[in-house]
Amino acid sequence: MASPGSLRRSQRRFAFSVMTPIMIYLMIFSLLPMIWAVILGFFDYSPARVGGTIFGLGESNPFVGIRNYLDMFSDSQPATVFRKSVSNTFLFTFLILPLNLAITLPLAIIIERSHARVKGFFRAVYFLPTVTSAVAVALIWGAIYNPQAGLLNSMIRTIGMTPPKAWLSDPQAFVFGIPLAMVALIVAHLWQDFGYNLVIFIAALQGIPQNLRDAAMVDGANEQQMFWYVTLPLLQPTLLFVCVMTILSSLQMFILAQVMTAGGPREQTTTMLMSIYSNAFRYQNMGWAAAMSMVLFGIIMLFTIVQFRFLRSDWEY
Amino acid sequence: MRSYSPVRWLVLIMALVLASCSAAAPAAPVAEKVTIRMWSHQNSAFNKVNQELIDQFMKENPNIEVKYETFPYDQFIQTLQTSMPAGTEADVIEMFGSWVCNYATGGRLQETPAEVMSYTKAQEIFYKAPLDGYYCDGKLYGMPNEYNLEYSGALVNPELYKAAGIAFPPEYKDYNGLIADAKKMSAFSGETMTTAGFHFTGGDALGFIMLGGILEQGGNYFADDGKHFNFESKEALNVISTLTRYAREDKVIDPTLFSGDNGLPGAFFKGQVGIAYIGPWAAGVGLVDYPDVKFEYVALPPMFGSEYKFAADAGWGKVVSANTKHSKEAWMLQNYLTINRANALKFNQISGTVPALKELVDNPAEILAVAPYMQPILKLLPHGQYLGNVTDRDQLFYEIIAKNLTDALNGTMTPEQAAAKMNAEANAMVDSKASK
Repeated sequence: MASPGSLRRSQRRFAFSVMTPIMIYLMIFSLLPMIWAVILGFFDYSPARVGGTIFGLGESNPFVGIRNYLDMFSDSQPATVFRKSVSNTFLFTFLILPLNLAITLPLAIIIERSHARVKGFFRAVYFLPTVTSAVAVALIWGAIYNPQAGLLNSMIRTIGMTPPKAWLSDPQAFVFGIPLAMVALIVAHLWQDFGYNLVIFIAALQGIPQNLRDAAMVDGANEQQMFWYVTLPLLQPTLLFVCVMTILSSLQMFILAQVMTAGGPREQTTTMLMSIYSNAFRYQNMGWAAAMSMVLFGIIMLFTIVQFRFLRSDWEY
Repeated sequence: MRSYSPVRWLVLIMALVLASCSAAAPAAPVAEKVTIRMWSHQNSAFNKVNQELIDQFMKENPNIEVKYETFPYDQFIQTLQTSMPAGTEADVIEMFGSWVCNYATGGRLQETPAEVMSYTKAQEIFYKAPLDGYYCDGKLYGMPNEYNLEYSGALVNPELYKAAGIAFPPEYKDYNGLIADAKKMSAFSGETMTTAGFHFTGGDALGFIMLGGILEQGGNYFADDGKHFNFESKEALNVISTLTRYAREDKVIDPTLFSGDNGLPGAFFKGQVGIAYIGPWAAGVGLVDYPDVKFEYVALPPMFGSEYKFAADAGWGKVVSANTKHSKEAWMLQNYLTINRANALKFNQISGTVPALKELVDNPAEILAVAPYMQPILKLLPHGQYLGNVTDRDQLFYEIIAKNLTDALNGTMTPEQAAAKMNAEANAMVDSKASK
């Protein structure tokens, strides 16, 4: 007799028959490329060279050990750009996360308390940019930021102010020490991305049992206290999810920056993914790009572990 | 009944999947008809003429079927890079000349058989600048269709000339006259430049002006060893200082505003540029994409001295993959598309590219009949030399020369600082690639 909780043979067979295809798919399209990237990081590999007999490794694509990783600390131009891209990516991520939360959480609370019809309308309106193509969003914002004919500069001039010389291409323009182009990119990204977190927060708020709020009210809690001592703690699992997802997507920022600024001016908006992409596919330094992607992988992994450690909750409601 | 453990299931299915992936295709039946494939990037004019010539080739060679496949530009490069290690690339590939040696020396391309063409013979019929991109370590790999020229030609806007009261079309003897006209055409709204009199800050333009400017003054951008660079010579410094003067003192261009979306050729065809330093291909784009915009394409004088001397990329041409199973047929097609006079002419006429075949320029009536804008620059072609082995062309042009030059033009660096940084970064690139 099967022990309690264990599966019968037929159940096991069914489970494996449905799991196996997806496991094979993941193995071929996720695991093997990851292993291949780890291996490539130790070679000076270019797809333009034939190399050795085993997967093109060796000979004209020589084994260089950890040289690619050590080169990241050198003074060479690609290494300098890579380090700049790491700092840009961190700057972008650490600005996006609090700004996103500061917009989405209060907005979600307001929408959640509004009338059902209004709720549906605003949820749809705010979610629309999220489902819009990132390239289209980049083109729209590029037009808005155009220094000569852009909507933003026209509006600034209309109210009698002087707009910046160029939002996306002036290497000497900074706002509180942050490159103006980066600020412009963050605004565009926030506009496109905040609807996703908003919908998640609204769903989480709707899931908080009303009796907990009622109990707090009976105990004399005001709105502010209810938010800090009831709503926010109960949102902790959602907050963890939102933080993790926002950080993951920010660390992998690519399309908006690629289309709007191409990493410029002076690499002020070059992100890690852009640096990896251009080295892999433009300059054909696949080994170097693989090593960089391993660094990005490590950073993402570290962030995720840290967040799970500090934001997880051991209870459910 | 025998039961299968999960591991056995997994192994069984994996084996089936792998078997289906790796099982050799059934041996091709010995048939008279041979099928080969040709790849190129997506460009409506290129694709149209290639397809027409391929159809013609198949009619003349009924035993050969050619499958022509095209890819968006970025995807084309990625597809080449992933298919070559897998050995699944096409038999004939349309490749940009400046990439050829990278793939050829890596063993990815087939050397041109002596019976198809020798380098000596090729030198007689092709211009040296495009041909030498296909000549690597003493071996010839394919042949060019195009002479890629980005030097000393410009689109000019008749309306801006007229508005500034300048005679049109212009005939400049030196840059003093050109800059004087450009200053008259530059316009500002407050401090914001709305019209650039002379736009030369494209990534390609800056690179070719830099290298051509050094050559025009009798200098060399390569160091004595022929591999490293010398961007701190007095000739290099003179180029940077001169361009900086045009931008900062003469105010004929604001590189901060005229970049990205406002780069070339878009800004020119929006009427925001008087003189745009760009290759003749842009005139072809203008005729197709901006049929209502009036413009001329003119040759500019040498920026330094009185003699034209410049470096050029090797343009688009056809190469044959090292993995082809139908070498003979692939070279037949390659030959048909590049050496055959009528076909090469048709390619240049429809694609709007400058011919790599000398014969087509020596008797230019046919090419000028469809691309009259090429007339001013045909006289420049014999003065060009191939760029040479610059280690990584795109990195040198876009990441090193253009960025440091732009910093000098913006005033964030002095010309001396820009030259020193350019020199250090270019040589670090050479050392970095050589040391691995």
